[in-house]
Amino acid sequence: MIAALRLYATQVVLANRMALADRANFALQAGGMFINNAFMLVLWGLFFAGFKSVGGWRQGDMALLMGITMTVVGVSGVAFGGYRDMAATILRGELDALLTQPKGLMGRLLARECLATAWGDLIGGPLLLAGFARLSWGEAPLVVAGIAGGTVVYVSAGVCFASLAFWASGARSFARDLTDFTLVFSTYPGSIYRGAVKAIAFSILPAGFVVMAPVRMVRDASVETAAMVAGAAVLYAALAMALFHLGLSRYRRGASVAG
Amino acid sequence: MSFAVTAAQLSKSYRYSRRGRGWRAAFSSEQVTIEAVAGVDFQIAPGERVAIIGPNGAGKSTTLKMLSGILQPSSGAATVLGLVPWRQRKALAYRIGVVFGQRSQLWGELPARDSFDLLRHVYDQDARVFARRLGEMSERFALGELLDQPVHRMSLGQRMRCEITASLLHGPELLFLDEPTIGLDVTAKAAIRDFIREHARDHGLTVLLTSHDTRDIELVCDRVIVVNQGRIVVDQPTDQLRRRFLGRKIITFQSAGAAVSLDLPGVTRRAGAAHATVLEVDTRVVRVEQVIAAAMADGGIEDVTIEDPPMEEVIHDIYAAAR
Repeated sequence: MIAALRLYATQVVLANRMALADRANFALQAGGMFINNAFMLVLWGLFFAGFKSVGGWRQGDMALLMGITMTVVGVSGVAFGGYRDMAATILRGELDALLTQPKGLMGRLLARECLATAWGDLIGGPLLLAGFARLSWGEAPLVVAGIAGGTVVYVSAGVCFASLAFWASGARSFARDLTDFTLVFSTYPGSIYRGAVKAIAFSILPAGFVVMAPVRMVRDASVETAAMVAGAAVLYAALAMALFHLGLSRYRRGASVAG
Repeated sequence: MSFAVTAAQLSKSYRYSRRGRGWRAAFSSEQVTIEAVAGVDFQIAPGERVAIIGPNGAGKSTTLKMLSGILQPSSGAATVLGLVPWRQRKALAYRIGVVFGQRSQLWGELPARDSFDLLRHVYDQDARVFARRLGEMSERFALGELLDQPVHRMSLGQRMRCEITASLLHGPELLFLDEPTIGLDVTAKAAIRDFIREHARDHGLTVLLTSHDTRDIELVCDRVIVVNQGRIVVDQPTDQLRRRFLGRKIITFQSAGAAVSLDLPGVTRRAGAAHATVLEVDTRVVRVEQVIAAAMADGGIEDVTIEDPPMEEVIHDIYAAAR
């Protein structure tokens, strides 16, 4: 276990060094995302200058939602960035080289890339949480747990979408689109979703579990909300592993479109 | 005798949907099965250096992928170092090295040294043993300053030297190489071949390589398995194959004026472009330098290229002889 963690950490460090190899590009992407997030914040600030709440969500709640979303996306992109291009990796047949090596594929794939833009989110998210989410120190462990749960669900959803590449060659852009839709869903107050849209947000595009459930857990700490966050993380992680290994088995039988 | 590799009736078939023409074909398709590898049998002794050659689509890479544990066969059996590759993939991975000529296991934007260090963790290697091996290979393969250079800034030949080093750093007993010299220039090819041959000889390494280049086979391997349409056509020592099929060179003379006129035994003229004389030389009858000297004496030569016959021709000859 320690050896596996050390290997993962070594890969994450290398992936970050790779992202930093072109410093100007890194600065542009990370800085661009930071500015983009700040712009969104200004828009919500202008909105809340005119209206007290949206669907029962006040300014502090929105700051909490956006702060958790940005931090989840930041942690995912920095420490598990391979999820983003996993479909392309599968379709290019790059699993072959990894299959000739003795370690599990999932860790090798997730840690092989660091997204420069994610650093913009990773810096902006905690600043937003600290400055505008009106949190007490007592709520900090809940926020950390919520971010951890949300990250697991977000990355797992990305892995599920990418695994479609074992069955369909068009999955590269489709997987990215689905991940982006999940992110878009995650940036609006959960209470505005109703009916079918809400069902989607708590299933196929699990924005509900990436950010809304963690926000609810922070604002309304209870065994039920904590169980929802933890349960969703375990469930989506298991689903991602099952779908990926089902596809991998197909790939190794030579039935996959990739390779 | 225990073999490093055994394959018994090893087969792999792929299925795909073939669509016809016209709008109706958009809604219906026919399932087609391709036999990429059709029941091959062979054994490789420890320390043996074997080439699998054949035209595109002959089943070379598929065979290599099954033996390295990437692909599961459709039927048949195989063992590699006593293990069933597709069932004991991870255990086998510690004992084999694999190089794909067209795919990299190195991180492009980082120095090769970083990728090597990552591989130390991947293969759970002791840091001192790993450093000693890297030192030895670095010296022998003249990696020197390359180690600290980003991989994407290397030439193809330099990158391939690093790829082969990466595949050997954990001390494998068997090395699989899929087209290791593809796209390389003559000097780089020679360096790769020398290194593989000498390293295999010194460390008792078993080598199984696929290639389109007859020189890879002649200079690295002591046995050749020729496959065509998924079946083994010829399986014999390289010396025998060389005597039968690899004793030819193609020499092309570019001249400003009239075509080169030569009348030497073992030399036959092939069709060539304007101002180009293409000769097929049987090197068992006449030496290449004799042919070139004779052509130079004739005068008017602007350029000369010496090539091996294309693999497709060699395969064709072998296949024709086998029939």
